Amino acid sequence: MLRSTPCHVNVTFAVVEELNDKRLIVVTGKGGVGKTTIAAALAVQSAREGKRTLVCEVNTRERISQLLGKPEVGAEVTALDENLWAVDVRPQEAMREYALMLLKFESVYNAVFENRVVRYFLRFIPSLQELVLLGKILFHLKEKRPDGSWRFDRIIIDAPATGHAITFFSVPQVIIDTVPPGAMSSDAAWMRDFLIDRATTAVVLVSLPEEMPVNETLELHDALTTRVKMHPRLVVLNGFISRRFEAGDGDGVWAGLADVVRSHETRAQMSVDSQQKLASLKLPLITVPRLNVPDFDRKAIDAVAQRFGGAR
Amino acid sequence: MNAIREAVESSDVLLTVGSGGVGKTTVAASIALRAAMEGQGSLVCTIDPARRLANSLGLDALGNAEMEIAKATFDAAGLQPKAVMRAMMLDMKRTWDDLIVRHAPADKRDKILANRFYQSLSTALAGSQEYVAMEKLWELRTQRDYPLIVLDTPPTAHALDFLDAPNRLLDFMDNDAAKWLLTPALAAGKFSLKLFNLGGSYVTKTISRFTGTETLQQLADFMLNISGMNEGFKERARQTRALLEADSTSFVLVTGPMPERLDETVHFHTLLKQNKMKVAAIVVNRVHAPVPPSLWEEVARLPPEKQRRFEETLKENESQARQDARGVERLREACEGTPLVLVPRFEHDVHELKGLNALSRWLWGEERLEVGAAAR
Repeated sequence: MLRSTPCHVNVTFAVVEELNDKRLIVVTGKGGVGKTTIAAALAVQSAREGKRTLVCEVNTRERISQLLGKPEVGAEVTALDENLWAVDVRPQEAMREYALMLLKFESVYNAVFENRVVRYFLRFIPSLQELVLLGKILFHLKEKRPDGSWRFDRIIIDAPATGHAITFFSVPQVIIDTVPPGAMSSDAAWMRDFLIDRATTAVVLVSLPEEMPVNETLELHDALTTRVKMHPRLVVLNGFISRRFEAGDGDGVWAGLADVVRSHETRAQMSVDSQQKLASLKLPLITVPRLNVPDFDRKAIDAVAQRFGGAR
Repeated sequence: MNAIREAVESSDVLLTVGSGGVGKTTVAASIALRAAMEGQGSLVCTIDPARRLANSLGLDALGNAEMEIAKATFDAAGLQPKAVMRAMMLDMKRTWDDLIVRHAPADKRDKILANRFYQSLSTALAGSQEYVAMEKLWELRTQRDYPLIVLDTPPTAHALDFLDAPNRLLDFMDNDAAKWLLTPALAAGKFSLKLFNLGGSYVTKTISRFTGTETLQQLADFMLNISGMNEGFKERARQTRALLEADSTSFVLVTGPMPERLDETVHFHTLLKQNKMKVAAIVVNRVHAPVPPSLWEEVARLPPEKQRRFEETLKENESQARQDARGVERLREACEGTPLVLVPRFEHDVHELKGLNALSRWLWGEERLEVGAAAR
């Protein structure tokens, strides 16, 4: 699926071969570990490497556009940069798009889906909301341009945090199990198959070098692989702190300074311990150093993006 | 007096709210522990605690029941609480099943439990967890007699979904459209619904294209079977709402100082206020403490070959402290009138009873973090 690209551009995620040929990359992890940052950075790097990339936030307070120094994009797919688009997928718009896809004509949609009784019914179809959110995202993977190439080579989802991610990506299976055959359940089957296809879809687990996030990453990996049957292919250890002090630095200094050494050493050690613990997942691991910047902005995202590409 | 201590002493229900990953469960457990230490019997009800926290609360193998934390566990941590502390982990499916078993008419019970819609409603349906947490709170408050219940709300992306949850269920049962669908069938005592009496109507056909006909039939069956529970649900939803608004109920909003959490927190705060909920305090967790000037003076006295590494570290610490302090200031301005309680970043996660007890000293204002100067 390689397309020709200018020769100075590296067409792969140089560091992350596992993500190279994937059309869908799902970024998830415990709340507060920096999922959005990593999703934005992966998207920037993917676009930089010449892939037409769409990065999706899911029904949340939109942050990626702001991180990249752009105005809010909302529920419409909006170009942010060369090869880079973003969208905040929201239930109401997604429902409309999904219904229109099935019904083809807006007038039919209005007659049926604006009907009070119908709306009522639809609200209580189990997990329909999640299904249409996911459906809209995956639908963009099927879109083609006039020349027959994909509209988007790659979609990156800034997915919900742990528990909600599991619920969210289980939705197609839940629908298959609950809803008898129909358009909805066959769509769900297509989605499920795409999500669990190792060839097309990869999960990126984001963690922090702290005990609870690391434990949760291990649990999340377990739940995703056994319950949802998706394939984590990469771990990103965000906020990594490297050892700095040398032996003896903390000796013979004032107690306050000895504490500074001890605290830094503890956190550096925790980074190493976390890395080792996460190694048990037997997945490639990329560390992203903790960035000391007053505000997390485009420059910081670009710096993080470097970790996923560039010459190494 | 410190705001959290005051809220604990004057409340019998306390809810911790906030987005995921900010330490909400830990704060909830710490408050319940401290209350017990001070002689106010407490129950902490958690939704999805990290494993080690669950272990230290004795929740490793438990379902939906409240468990007393054993004296031996406290002894091992060197703590002597003056009252009993209990902990429980909310089991969504079991709470739903209990609810049906308790409130459904006998002849409908099994039909409901076996319905596929019910099964997904009770396990997988988004928003269901919030509803169940509220049901459990109502049950614990009315059926038991705990001096203090600390409820850790589900870590939703939209942390106030739980406020809405009882209303959403009510809407399900009491909607005009539902009545329109159900009434004729109920009146006729038949298991058929108006929607299906419409037969080949345009609307029915179009929805069926979307969901399959059988889906509609199952959903209709489910609605018909639970319709008898309508009044009970309605009454409890009303009471739960009243409970949340009661003077003896307080909310503690938990957040981190990072900029991306602040907007959310301000938003939650506004919503809680709009909904007439009492916000006792905002806990800002994991705040980097400012670097005291004396440290810089000491660094200046070090041999030059060491200096650089210390300077680099202090600069980093200072920049983090400044960022956090600015966040705290912003929050203080945006949520004027609500006290902020700052908790410093600890080098290790807190999950042992001892650590929870130490954390409570910050929550109770016995230890204080001043960050004002760092913001400038």
